[in-house]
Amino acid sequence: MAEKADILEQLTQAEYSEGFTTDIEQEFFPKGLNEDIVRALSAKKGEPQWMLDFRLDALRKWQAMEMPTWGHLTIPPIDYQDIIYFAAPKAPKKREEVDPELIKTFDKLGIPLHERDALSGVAVDAVFDSVSVKTTFQAKLAELGVIFCPFSEAVQNYPELVRKYLAKVVPPGDNYFAALNSAVFSDGSFCYIPKGVRCPMELSSYFRINARNIGQFERTLIVADEGSYVSYLEGCTAPMRDENQLHAAIVEIIVEKDAEVKYSTVQNWYPGDKEGRGGIFNFVTKRGLCRGERSRLFWTQVETGSAITWKYPSTILRGDGSHSEFYSVALTNNYQQADTGTKMVHIGKNTTSRIVSKGISAGQSQNSYRGLVKVASGASGVRNHSQCDSLLIGDKCGAHTFPVIDCANSGAILEHEATTSKISEDQLFYLRQRGISEEDAVALIVGGYASDVLQRLPMEFAIEARRLLSVNLEGSVG
Amino acid sequence: MASSEVILLSGDATRKVDVTIASGESRQLVFVALPGDGGVIDCSVSVRFAGEGGECTLRGLYLAGGSSSVNFTVNMEHGVPNCSSRQLFKGIVAGEARTRFFGLIRVPEKCIGTEAYQENHNLLLSDDCRSQSLPQLEIYADDVKCSHGATFGRLNEDELFYMRSRGIPAAEARRLQMTAFASEILEGLPEEIVAEAVTTLEGLI
Repeated sequence: MAEKADILEQLTQAEYSEGFTTDIEQEFFPKGLNEDIVRALSAKKGEPQWMLDFRLDALRKWQAMEMPTWGHLTIPPIDYQDIIYFAAPKAPKKREEVDPELIKTFDKLGIPLHERDALSGVAVDAVFDSVSVKTTFQAKLAELGVIFCPFSEAVQNYPELVRKYLAKVVPPGDNYFAALNSAVFSDGSFCYIPKGVRCPMELSSYFRINARNIGQFERTLIVADEGSYVSYLEGCTAPMRDENQLHAAIVEIIVEKDAEVKYSTVQNWYPGDKEGRGGIFNFVTKRGLCRGERSRLFWTQVETGSAITWKYPSTILRGDGSHSEFYSVALTNNYQQADTGTKMVHIGKNTTSRIVSKGISAGQSQNSYRGLVKVASGASGVRNHSQCDSLLIGDKCGAHTFPVIDCANSGAILEHEATTSKISEDQLFYLRQRGISEEDAVALIVGGYASDVLQRLPMEFAIEARRLLSVNLEGSVG
Repeated sequence: MASSEVILLSGDATRKVDVTIASGESRQLVFVALPGDGGVIDCSVSVRFAGEGGECTLRGLYLAGGSSSVNFTVNMEHGVPNCSSRQLFKGIVAGEARTRFFGLIRVPEKCIGTEAYQENHNLLLSDDCRSQSLPQLEIYADDVKCSHGATFGRLNEDELFYMRSRGIPAAEARRLQMTAFASEILEGLPEEIVAEAVTTLEGLI
């Protein structure tokens, strides 16, 4: 019941509860993007020459590229010279100290940075604007050989590992936003699970945008070595502002032989207000490589935030017998736009994948599923099932499905199905006549519709996701 | 049931078909694409509804072998409320053939009461052929029922084994399987078209 009361309280408030700003002394780079900014950023982090060369190469690639326009999105022009590419809280005097203001901020977001307060079994890397401010449980994880640290620390302490795996799944020239990120990424998480280790706790990155006019560009690299297992969670929030802010991240995952990675996201960037002012532009490249035989990669995402989402977590199934699953709930309300989906590229023999996508559109929002299932000529015994459902709430929103299925092997069995419908009057009537308010009834039905995906989330995340779904639907009925 | 218009495309063919469905009218079109070896068929179909209560059924069969290619583009524009459409496209792809099916169902704002269904099924007989399916839904109205499905597969081995164990030769069993797959489209078509399709189908084995 406590959870229920919580939902109701949230509903009546119906504001974006993470929309506060933290008043903290920060240092900034000047606005704009050019070679000098990239050099300054690299120097700031004391990076080796190879890292600087990597960034400069990416910058040149980006300068020669055009912003992609194929998404079913209306993106206002973005002035890349009007963005601050680096903002960080002033460093404390002692290295191990964290500014109390920051601790308060993350406490308020439900992400305690003190290990004793933390949810048992979750290690957190907290990223504030352009830098990681605290990573918990590092020592405990190190006992097992698990490396979990900010990306900039990994460049210093584990250059061999970083060089071996960086940009092997998402090359710098992959797409416009990946090139931009490769040039200016400021921090993020690095995670390495050694051979045969089952990571004893969930690893988590929490991204917070605070400063005005900045863009956040973080990079996450997860490597699961032979026979290892890790479950990874990602969360994000930002203050309420009338202007848009850009978030362009890269997530790369490498899964070796017999290893398993679970990657779960609850994306709750500020979605903009009821008139569609402000909000985060979330242009993200996430891709995993199932490199070894029988490797497994599971994506689960709940997308409720951001003014515009452009995101396609994908898996390249190269190892024979590898397996990947993608579960997604994308909810858009007011003037939000989402173009999201997945790609499953089957290269190895006997590779299997499964896609379950649930889109929910309300208000004046546009919600698209875009996906690719590709079977290479040599990939025999491939099996895929895709299910993409869309739910429309109201007559001014849109729900779209744009899958591509490309098959070049006679041994493959592929199925794709998609449906579009609205909330059934019968279900609504049934709940209403039992005294449940219309808003609660809608929240219940949507929760049931999305439950296939929600039940894949780790418990704390699932509760959070359910709450977000009902909060974000507020005002969309009647 | 409305009588069906049959459009046979063979060898090299480029065809553009525009269909307007009047209020309350019901129409059925059947496309049979037989490119032969090396033929290139490009067919685009646009359907629009001029008034409420219209019904449109599209059926299509493509049998592509050798180095042929078949490209179907369907634009189903549900610009009027309370219309319904059904699409069923099936293809058998062999040799080094290339096939592509693009089908868009578009329902603009306020076009409620729309029912639109689309299916695309492909049978692949070789590892050198390539088949693509792009079923698309663009929906801007809430009180609608729309769905699409697409599948890729091969001839069922259990069925083949069942027939072989009863003394039916392998080639004959495959021919039966493929004929059964195509019959959903060919049913009720003029005999000479069915005969031509079956001959083409036998050539793919």
